[in-house]
Amino acid sequence: MSVQGFHIPQDVAETVALAARLGSEAYFIAGGTDLVIQMRRGRRKPGHLISLQALDGLKQIESGAGLVSLGALVTHKQIETAFAADPVLYGLVESAQVVGGNQVRHAGTIGGNICNASPAADLLPQLLTLDAEVVLTGGNGPRQAKLADFLLGPGRTTRSADELLTHIRFRRPAGKAATAFLKAGRRRAMEISVISVAACIGLSPDGRLEDVRLAVGAAAPMAYRAHDAEILLQGHKPDEDRLSRAGILAASAAVPISDVRASAEHRRRLVAALLPRAIRQCLLRIEKAAQ
Amino acid sequence: MSQHSVTRYPVSLQINGERYDVDVAPDTSLLDVLRDEFGLTGTKANCLEAECGVCTVLLDGKAVNACITLALQCQGRQILTIEGLAHGGELHPLQTAFIECGAVQCGYCIPGMILTAKSLLDTQPDPDEAAIREGLAGTLCRCTGYQKIVDAVAHAARQMNQQQSQIKTTTTGDRQ
Repeated sequence: MSVQGFHIPQDVAETVALAARLGSEAYFIAGGTDLVIQMRRGRRKPGHLISLQALDGLKQIESGAGLVSLGALVTHKQIETAFAADPVLYGLVESAQVVGGNQVRHAGTIGGNICNASPAADLLPQLLTLDAEVVLTGGNGPRQAKLADFLLGPGRTTRSADELLTHIRFRRPAGKAATAFLKAGRRRAMEISVISVAACIGLSPDGRLEDVRLAVGAAAPMAYRAHDAEILLQGHKPDEDRLSRAGILAASAAVPISDVRASAEHRRRLVAALLPRAIRQCLLRIEKAAQ
Repeated sequence: MSQHSVTRYPVSLQINGERYDVDVAPDTSLLDVLRDEFGLTGTKANCLEAECGVCTVLLDGKAVNACITLALQCQGRQILTIEGLAHGGELHPLQTAFIECGAVQCGYCIPGMILTAKSLLDTQPDPDEAAIREGLAGTLCRCTGYQKIVDAVAHAARQMNQQQSQIKTTTTGDRQ
């Protein structure tokens, strides 16, 4: 069966009403960088496409009063550009810029990356470290959820078919803080992550790890926060021994698969090696920003 | 992807500065419309999965893969294909640079490569080699090993920046 209808609603209310009327065979389409490929492969067969192209209000990044709000239609390229000179949120730039080529980053959106809920989605680990929240609008009005609770598993979220993800929000880390994201792939461009790690670090005035938030991608059915590693580091000075023990703890929480890209064992080793590196990168950024 | 019984929707596309009207199925790609409806075959078709970049066109000035862009998503937006890059018979500096640097072998990736490069230079007029390589990463060439392509983009950037500074000097001169 091919697509019967193409709809271009003009606002969020109309979008949600359309989705409710058309039911589960209707798919939202934003950048289409995943959906169109899946349609061509015959893996997704939408009866209707509801295009979000006219929802200009969801294409903005707003940053003020310590709160950052990203519209769900913000592209990867917009994220790269918006935070390019921002050491505190530079990890988001690193997350966005490893997705596909420029062509895909010009079209693919943060909302699509989140709702697709791929275990290897590159934006998820850093957003998890930022304690991001998602805002959805459905027939019963808007609701908020923690990103960590919103993501259920590969391709699964708590979003119902007639709910539209409209915004992603998080509090900007305050004080001496920085973020960093590292990805291991088989090559440096156009590659699905073998492993990704993200860190968001806040330092106390005397140089202790005051705020430690760590996440790992592509190492389990869903990107996860490495809580044990966070607890190990919290309140301590960042010495090498403790950092590598944190890496090992984060790796022990992984349930990686073996596939054509890497073995499960290799993925665990990569987590243990990369997580300390991401933390050191944050420390370096904090140091540089203070100069 | 389309079948005969499918509803078709009218769409008005601005391609290379001209308006084109066409009725398309919901899942018709921009690539298919360019090539099959309008005969603009400079935009190439290959992987159809946004991996290779030979179908790259500029949508509102930004490089995108036409193979995974639906035609109906382009309503009212500006599309630039390789056919629209030269002006009044004069090649764009990128086109000239690709010829001068011998950056073209089989040529199949070149329309996409040039438009990918244009999108890069429009936002980053003076990229270093790493930035050029990163900027072109979404477009694959299976002939050249990329060195001459990177050389050509760097050469074009220098030419365009020189032209730009000449224009500035001229306008400043006029005012004095």
